[in-house]
Amino acid sequence: MNTTSAQFVTTRRIGVYEPIHQISTWGENFKSNSNLNTSSSLILEDTKLDNQSEDASHGTMAPSNQYDQEASKPADKVLRRLAQNREAARKSRLRKKAYVQQLETSRLKLIQLEQELERARHQGLYMAGGLDASHLGFPGTVNSGITAFEMEYGHWMEEQNKQIGDLRTALNAHISDVELRMLVENGLEHYTKFFRMKGSAASADVFYVMSGMWKTSAERFFSWIGGFRPSDLLKVLLPQLDPMTEQQLMEVYNLQQSCQQAEDALTQGMEKLTLTLAETVAAGRLVEDSYLPHVASAMDKLESLVGFVNQADHLRQEALQQMYRILTVRQAARGLLALGEYFQRLRALSSLWATRPREPA
Amino acid sequence: MQEAIPYKSWQPLHTRAHFINNNTNIPQLVSSKALKAEGSENIMLNMVAENAVIVIARRGCCMSHVVKRLLLGLGVNPAVYEVDEKDEVGVVKELEMISNGKDGKVQFPAVFIGGRLFGGLDRVMATHISGELVPILKEAGALWL
Repeated sequence: MNTTSAQFVTTRRIGVYEPIHQISTWGENFKSNSNLNTSSSLILEDTKLDNQSEDASHGTMAPSNQYDQEASKPADKVLRRLAQNREAARKSRLRKKAYVQQLETSRLKLIQLEQELERARHQGLYMAGGLDASHLGFPGTVNSGITAFEMEYGHWMEEQNKQIGDLRTALNAHISDVELRMLVENGLEHYTKFFRMKGSAASADVFYVMSGMWKTSAERFFSWIGGFRPSDLLKVLLPQLDPMTEQQLMEVYNLQQSCQQAEDALTQGMEKLTLTLAETVAAGRLVEDSYLPHVASAMDKLESLVGFVNQADHLRQEALQQMYRILTVRQAARGLLALGEYFQRLRALSSLWATRPREPA
Repeated sequence: MQEAIPYKSWQPLHTRAHFINNNTNIPQLVSSKALKAEGSENIMLNMVAENAVIVIARRGCCMSHVVKRLLLGLGVNPAVYEVDEKDEVGVVKELEMISNGKDGKVQFPAVFIGGRLFGGLDRVMATHISGELVPILKEAGALWL
């Protein structure tokens, strides 16, 4: 018997796979051995050997099932092991199924969340600072104007980038003045559209427009009353427009001066408004009086803020128009291109800043 | 360019109407009553006619502050007439009559140059940017240089 098992071992070690031979060998072992203990010890030995050899040994078990049934006393342990294996396989399949189902539902939930986030982002930027709006219970009406603006602004920006690209191509291609004029006028019209959008947004929520939340961080840094400062932009553009005639230089300089004066006037008006607003809110006795009448009268003052944003935008608009009057078509095209690229650079600066490597907390 | 020295605004020949400079704060009630007593139409007309530049605005309006600052920055010392809320409608009517219904409704702040309605802050800004405002002011005698 030992030799037989040794043979068994040898064939397995060599890798010769003869299940029938092996099983019959096994069967012989069991049959010829009346002593259960011995046979079980043999099986144990076989099991040990089994474990020592490759995992392929498991495979050899399966076909042996049929042959086990033939044996009068199939090893309980073998049967049990087979059953356990079946059980384990079944459980594994069930677990896998459960896991996949979980994945599916999570995936659906993720899609839902992403959609919600997209929607909330449009309103979220606004709502983050507008908790008081939700207090009053008007989030729906107040938000819609701003949500609409944010969407429109996204489209406007796409169109703007396209127009800047077209201008660049056109200037390099040396197209005729007539065609260039059309591009320039389209560009100016596009800015007009933008100011109109801003006007509606200011009526919807002037604080939002003043905060510049719809712009990138670097753009926001340079913000003055909800937008760019005309005199600053002129300083940026001037060197890009060379060569200019003496007359033009003088006119641009005068325009710069006028913008500066207008900006100063508006700034001083804003300062007065700020002061008045603070006084109105703080009127009476802060500790004892009711806040309602004071806060209510402050509301009127806030309305004037809309006027300031409108006037500032009006100033920007007029400055652009005046530049168009002063410059030749080609210069105006270069100016618009330079303006567009300046803002693109500011936006690039914002993203670079946002993604800068930082020390781990 | 250096800031021009502010030119003193002309004093009215008759003292029925009161003018408020940007520095002083003469109670307006007095002149309102005076206006009502004397026939405000003439007073408004006189005010407009006698001042090269006059700004008529609501009391405490921040936009009128902007107009004032802008004109001051140019070297103009504009007369300012502040209107109480209750007088607003009346004043608007008078001003519209003065301007003969030109340019539609009068909005505050309203700027009169050389006796004629010039417009609101919008027009002042636009003409300032286009460089047309200073010549107009010079022509009306509000600016000397």
